[in-house]
Amino acid sequence: MSPRSDRTLAYWMILPVVAAVLTFIVGPTYDVFTMGFTRFRMGMPLEFGSLANFRALFADPVFWTVMRNTAIWILGGTIGCVLLGLLIATYLAVDSRQTMVLRALILLPWILPDVVTAMAWRWMLHGQVGIIGQTATSIGLSERPISFLGDPDLVMWSLVVVVVWRKMPLVALILCAAIRSVPQEHLEAARIDGANAWQRFRFVILPHIAFSLTAVTVISMIWITAEFALPWIMTGGGPANSSHIMATYIYQQSFQFFNWGVGAAMSVVNLVVLVAIVTLYLYIMRRSWRSEADR
Amino acid sequence: MGSVSLTNICKSFGGVEVLHDISVTVQDGEFVVLVGPSGCGKSTLLRCIAGLEEVGSGDIHIDDRRVNTIAPKRRDIAMVFQNYALYPHMTVAQNMGFSLRLARVGAEEMRAKVDEAAAILGLEDLLERYPRQLSGGQRQRVAMGRAIVRNPKVFLFDEPLSNLDAKLRVQMRSEIKQLHQRLKATIVYVTHDQIEAMTMADRIVVMRGGRVEQIGAPLELYDNPANVFVAGFIGSPAMNLFPALLADGQVVIEGAGTLPAAPDAPPGEQPVIVGMRPEDMTISDTGIPAEVVLVEPTGAETQLLARLGGQIVVLTMRDRIEATPGQRINITLPPAKIHLFDPETEASLRTPVATNRSREVDHA
Repeated sequence: MSPRSDRTLAYWMILPVVAAVLTFIVGPTYDVFTMGFTRFRMGMPLEFGSLANFRALFADPVFWTVMRNTAIWILGGTIGCVLLGLLIATYLAVDSRQTMVLRALILLPWILPDVVTAMAWRWMLHGQVGIIGQTATSIGLSERPISFLGDPDLVMWSLVVVVVWRKMPLVALILCAAIRSVPQEHLEAARIDGANAWQRFRFVILPHIAFSLTAVTVISMIWITAEFALPWIMTGGGPANSSHIMATYIYQQSFQFFNWGVGAAMSVVNLVVLVAIVTLYLYIMRRSWRSEADR
Repeated sequence: MGSVSLTNICKSFGGVEVLHDISVTVQDGEFVVLVGPSGCGKSTLLRCIAGLEEVGSGDIHIDDRRVNTIAPKRRDIAMVFQNYALYPHMTVAQNMGFSLRLARVGAEEMRAKVDEAAAILGLEDLLERYPRQLSGGQRQRVAMGRAIVRNPKVFLFDEPLSNLDAKLRVQMRSEIKQLHQRLKATIVYVTHDQIEAMTMADRIVVMRGGRVEQIGAPLELYDNPANVFVAGFIGSPAMNLFPALLADGQVVIEGAGTLPAAPDAPPGEQPVIVGMRPEDMTISDTGIPAEVVLVEPTGAETQLLARLGGQIVVLTMRDRIEATPGQRINITLPPAKIHLFDPETEASLRTPVATNRSREVDHA
């Protein structure tokens, strides 16, 4: 085959993917973007090039709650996932009969559908009939039943606990695999050099899994940012808008209040945050990849 | 420096016993090589000394201190691993100084010790490099540097040269031996390569199947192997071993003829396994008749494959000889160079002079 027809064939081969990306990603993104900068008024022609939606968004007192909640949601969820994941991975990396079983069982939260997880946790955290609140009362931890999802000061943290419970297992498994790939001889050499368990973890295991650790941190950050069903089903943004994050706020504005412009404006803000995270990811990974290639 | 003594060491993994009642003593400053085929337990024994494995029963002493239950880092030993086990994220200097850093030695003292070890090994220019930027031989040297920095009582080497190419292996072999002579270090060295063992060791421990087959200085093992296994394992090309009959001071090789046996051979008539080193045999006018099968000149010497009765034997000649396949020759060798083994027990039938002589060497 000639190089020319090779190239033609190559374009044909990537056409489906390019078409799909244009249709389902670039198209809607463009739509949302233009919508965000368009003013909607009943009975009036559309006005493009207006910042009215953003003015309305920033004027909404809920907006700053949403930003604060989103920060708690993303940072709390990511840090929780990675730290707890690392802790559990370190335990799972040890070979024993318990860990063999646990390595399989730990994926259970991961394979449950979002809706099932959300409903189950909603009932467990319920103020009157929730098993967690009841247990806390019966063993004397609290005098009154705690309504985890009904208390504006607790609700975000309860959501973070649930998302960590749901997203952490895969983080733990990936890190477990990374820890188990540390050459046994490095650990033995460190033992002979006089390193105790913590020092072996700090000076041998941690540098060895740094690449995986960076990767799972950014990946879980993206997962958690994109998570919608869990908070929406559990609280719907309530009580009194105290648990809205960007995803739930966008949904409510757009599809419940039909406030398309504000929803789109929030989506643009969301996009900027996501792009920032992905840029950070690419930047860190680029450095990791380079050092990996040197090895 | 220190001595190591292993007394009645037994160890099993699960139900499989891998070390059977092993007793070995390593003198202060001695270079002892544990050698044997894979799976003979030599590495496990070394790891027991290091404290990376626990022994089932028996005692390990380092300098009169029983170390069975003492953690590796408190045994005052250093180990060089087959894959070097250098920490990839640390520079050469950091790798070598890691143990000192853990021991909270001051920065200046650490620098001085690392520099000193680097000077011994010729690593001065590489101190800021990372392991991935080094060649195999350099990595090997860094691994040794890491051991030297600690100034341990005993150095343990676990097949340190098997990842290097043939030429580098020969070079590192002599470097390690020179290092031993310079540092007067006590070294226990594991290898499966009998040439490494022969060239480096003060004393060799030959192991098979978790048992010690023979302990002795390299040339003693070579001259007086205690059994068929050691006879066949030590020496390259290997000793010719085949069944024969010992009758009234004569070795009768079926289909070929007889050779006079050494005077210390047992009297009477019995079946034996006879062993002849390729270089002990010479072609002469008299002697036992054989037929040339193959001539292999290697330059320095000539190897000859010959049919002797029912078997093929290898002869190594210093001289370049003119021989053609099919040619009839006569082979002879001095009676004292004929090794005789019991076909049942595989033990040597000759007076074991080896052990007496090895004791003398120990105390020399």
